[in-house]
Order: sequence, then structure tokens, then C-alpha cells
Amino acid sequence: MPGNTTTLQGRTVASRRRQEKAGKAATLIILSFLAALVLLPIWWMFRSSLMTNAELYAYPPRFFPGRWLFGNYAATMEFFPFWKYFKNTMTIIVPAVLGGTATATLAGYAFARLHFPGKKLLFTLCVGSMLLPTMVTLVPLYIMWTRGLGLADSYLPLILPYFCGGGAFNIFLIRQFIKSIPREMDEAATIDGAGPFRILVSIIVPAIKPAMIVVSLLLFIFLWNDLLQQLIYINSQSKFTIALGLAQFKGSLGTDWSKIMSATCMAFVPGIVFYLIGQRHFVEGIVMTGMKN
Amino acid sequence: MLSRHPGTVRTRTHMIKMESRTAYLCLIPSIIGLIFLTYLPLISVFILGFFKWGKGAPSPVFVGTQNYIRLFTTDPFFMDSIGVTIWFSVLAVIGSLIYSLYIAMLLNRKIPARGFFRAVFYLPYVLPAMAVYIGWSWLYEANFGLFNFLLSAAGQKKLLFLADSNLVVPSLALIAVWLSGNLIVIFLAGLQNVPRVYHDAAEIDGANSFQRFRHVTLPCMTPIIFYNLLMALITNMQIVTPALVLTNGGPGNSSSFITYLMYRYAFISNQLGYACSISFVFFLIIAIFTIILFITSKSWIFYEGDA
Repeated sequence: MPGNTTTLQGRTVASRRRQEKAGKAATLIILSFLAALVLLPIWWMFRSSLMTNAELYAYPPRFFPGRWLFGNYAATMEFFPFWKYFKNTMTIIVPAVLGGTATATLAGYAFARLHFPGKKLLFTLCVGSMLLPTMVTLVPLYIMWTRGLGLADSYLPLILPYFCGGGAFNIFLIRQFIKSIPREMDEAATIDGAGPFRILVSIIVPAIKPAMIVVSLLLFIFLWNDLLQQLIYINSQSKFTIALGLAQFKGSLGTDWSKIMSATCMAFVPGIVFYLIGQRHFVEGIVMTGMKN
Repeated sequence: MLSRHPGTVRTRTHMIKMESRTAYLCLIPSIIGLIFLTYLPLISVFILGFFKWGKGAPSPVFVGTQNYIRLFTTDPFFMDSIGVTIWFSVLAVIGSLIYSLYIAMLLNRKIPARGFFRAVFYLPYVLPAMAVYIGWSWLYEANFGLFNFLLSAAGQKKLLFLADSNLVVPSLALIAVWLSGNLIVIFLAGLQNVPRVYHDAAEIDGANSFQRFRHVTLPCMTPIIFYNLLMALITNMQIVTPALVLTNGGPGNSSSFITYLMYRYAFISNQLGYACSISFVFFLIIAIFTIILFITSKSWIFYEGDA
């Protein structure tokens, strides 16, 4: 009898294992298929950037270019000054990301750790602003920056807002992250005579680096994606960003798809590089922040 | 006895004072932002909506509710733009929520190369919107685009994705779904917080994988679904880039989103006051959606410890 049960159990365990293995394989197949679907558009754009226009219009279409014409990129750059646009874009993004991350950290720290009158009200106003679409306030802000402060055709209206908290979501993210750090460390430092600011610099900041990387990546993506604001605040061509340059390039070339795709793929690169560098911290950071509530 | 304490008491109050002073110092940038970049502009939108400013009025002229009356009675574009925006948002939000939750659940299993897959599905999100839309416009191209190649290979008629007034919104919504990798990461974080014991208990009770999804995963995920739903709704309602770079609101007005209309009135035809009245109505529409979501959420969100 006892031997019998063991074999029974052995059999169920074995069949469960087999089932799990089959499930794993099925998951992998589905995921690979979906991943291929997601990558297909990007591949198609990339492969188009390496072909001649004649090849692009041929039927049936080729999945791989006949010859990989990397020269298309050099030819495109004659009309699409990528490095100039890149430099201009970074002139906006670098200070904005730094300012946004720093001020979001300051605010997140205050909300997570410090006690002060009016905390609840301020926090509610802050989280409430997350629900306010940025598009709603576009026109009055435009009036304020250009007519009120005379900052037409300037990068400042695109940069300065990021020195004002870096967005409610990011403040919230940093706050959550700080809350997950045990208070004992702060308390020990307090006993050693450290003030709240010292605690922020020497204990909190080193501990929340992943969260700060997440915030800077999110800010980077947000700025990278933002066409409308650049469109309304920047007028002169010498100040064009990648997004504006690309829009103009597309407008002037019309159907020279091979060149347009070269320019498009060039515009993809910085985001991908930045993401690959921050990737590990990025996912870790979001998971650790535990977007529970 | 007492004489020994005043010192400590003073340092105590001193410390509390110092703490709130530090807090206010830390919050100065955010407070400035909240006042001057968020709440004052919101009030200004409301006030400017009652003024005529820009074309034909170099300085603001009070016109009462005239802008709003024009919006709802004579403006030939406004009502359509509300419909288009809502139609797009519904498609994009539902599509991206289902897509990203499904992918997140697949990624949550113990499989090899998880990091790689996660990176792949997130990738579209890190690409600049401008380039993404231009790239997709090539895929949607009427004669030589990828999708029309695939359609003709399957023996179907070619479609004018972006030039067909019935297809343009679904086509743009598909791009929005493709871009929703950020939702996957948030869902994934949530799935990792679903207590393992619930799954084990359900499995012992003989629940199959669909029942486990329906009765364990889904209820535990409702707070995150709610969060993603809200954020995806607010993001997608504000869609403007494809109208700016690809369709110019067309064909006809079939992709003339509210935000695009607002942009045109404010920055192309220079009617700042009128554009503000549109912004304010837009704000109200999103607020109504948000309130409805919050009210109904009480009945479907499951918080641990409620039961």
C-alpha cells in the first residue's frame, strides 16, 4: 500500500512537471511570435532605410535589402543635419532632466519623511495635478512665456518648467520609493546629529538611485516625445530639434521614403541607447517602487 | 528635575521647526510649479474662455458666454472633434489595456530570456513619437506600405489606412497600442505583488488557469488596472502628434482631435480666447470621465483586507 501511494504521487508530480514544461514552451512560442510582431514595424523602417527607392516600390517586397546601403545615411545627413538637431535637442533635455530629477527628489523627500503644516493639502494638490491634462493649460502658458516673459523663440519655456518639481508622477514615484527605505537609518543619523538635509544627501539619495534613474528616463522619454511644445515655442530653424527637423524633412521630401526612413531611424537611436543603459535599473526601479496603490 | 529639561525641550521644538523649514525649502520648486504652471493657468483658461483675444482683438475683450455659444451652436468642427477624440480614446485605451495585461501575464511566468522579451515590448515606448508616426505612415502607405503588401499577399483589397475617414482613427489607435509598453511594466510590477499563496490555494482547490486568472489575478490587479485605465485615458484623450504630422486632422475632419482643433484656433488662426474655451470644455470632459471612473471604481476595485 505505501509503495502504491508513492508511485501515484510520483506519477502526478511527473505529469505536472510535463504539463509545466509544455506550458512554458507554449508561453515562449506565443511571446516570440508577439515580439516578432512588435519588432516588425521597426525592422521594416530600418530595412527601408537601407534600400533604394526603386527597391522599395518593387513587388514582391523584399524582407532583407539586396545590398545594405548604409550610404543612405550619409546622403540623408546632407539634408537632415542630425548632429545639429541632436545638439539642440540635448540643450533642452539635459538641463530639463537634471532639474526635474533633482526637484522631484527634493519634493518626494519632503512628502515621504518630513512633518510640516499643510502637508496633506500640498500633497493632494500635487497628486491632483496628475489628473490635469497638460494640453488644457497650453494656451495660457504660451501667453505667459511669450507675451508675459518675452521668451518667444527660446528654449527656456521648454526647460524651466522641469525645475519646478519635474511632474507629480515623478514626485509620487520618489516618495513611494523613499517610504520603502527603513527609517532606522535616518534615526541613527539623527542621533549622530545630522539634520534633515544631511540625511537627504548622505542617506536617502544613495539609497534611491534606481528611482532617480527611472525618473530621469521617464523625463527623457517625455521630452523626447514632445513635439507640440517645441512646435509652438521654437520658430527659427537654427534652433530646430530632432522632432521639428524630422517634421520639416518629411514635409519637404514628400515621398523619398528611403531618405525619410534613414532620418527616422537616426532619430530612434538616442532613445534606444539611453534605454539600454538604464534598462536594468529602470524595470527594477518601477518594480521596487511597488506601484501598489 | 524640571531645570534639567528645558534644554532638551528647546532642541526638540528647534528640530521640529528645522524639519518644517527644510520641508518648505525642498518644496519651493514644486509649489512654484503647482501655482504658476498648473493651477493659475487652469484658472486662466476658465477666465480667458469668456474673452475675445487675438484675431480682431489685440487686447482681451470680455464677450461673456459668446465663445461657448459659438462652440456648441455654430462651430462646424467642435462637436465632431469630441466624437473623434472619444472614439480614438476608447479604442486605444481598451486595446492597450488588454494587450499590455496579456503580455505582462506572459512575462510574469518563469521563462528564459524574460529580460529580453521585456525590453522588446517596452522598446516602442522609448522611440520619439515624431519618428514613430512618420515610420508608421510608411507602413500604412497606400501602394507600397507593409500592411498593403500583406493584404495583397493574402488576396485582400488594399486599404487607404490614413486616407480613409473610417480607418484613420482605428489605424492611429493601433499605433497607440503598439506604444503602450509602459503599461506592461506597471502591470508586471503589480503581478509580482499578487500573493503566491492565493494561486497555490486556488490550484489545490482544482481551479484551472482561466479560473485562477478570473478569480485570483484579476481581482488582485484591479487597483493597478484602475490606475492604468485612468492614466491611459488621460494620455490618449490628449493625442495630438499624429494629427500634427500625418493627417492634419483629415481626411475631412475624421482625425481632428479636440487638442488639434485647439492648436489650430490658438496658433494658426490666432483666436486665443476661443481656444481657451475649447481647452476648458476639454478639461470638463476629462474631469467627467475621471469622476465617473472614480465613482464606479468603488464597485469593482478589490482592496486586500476588504473581504
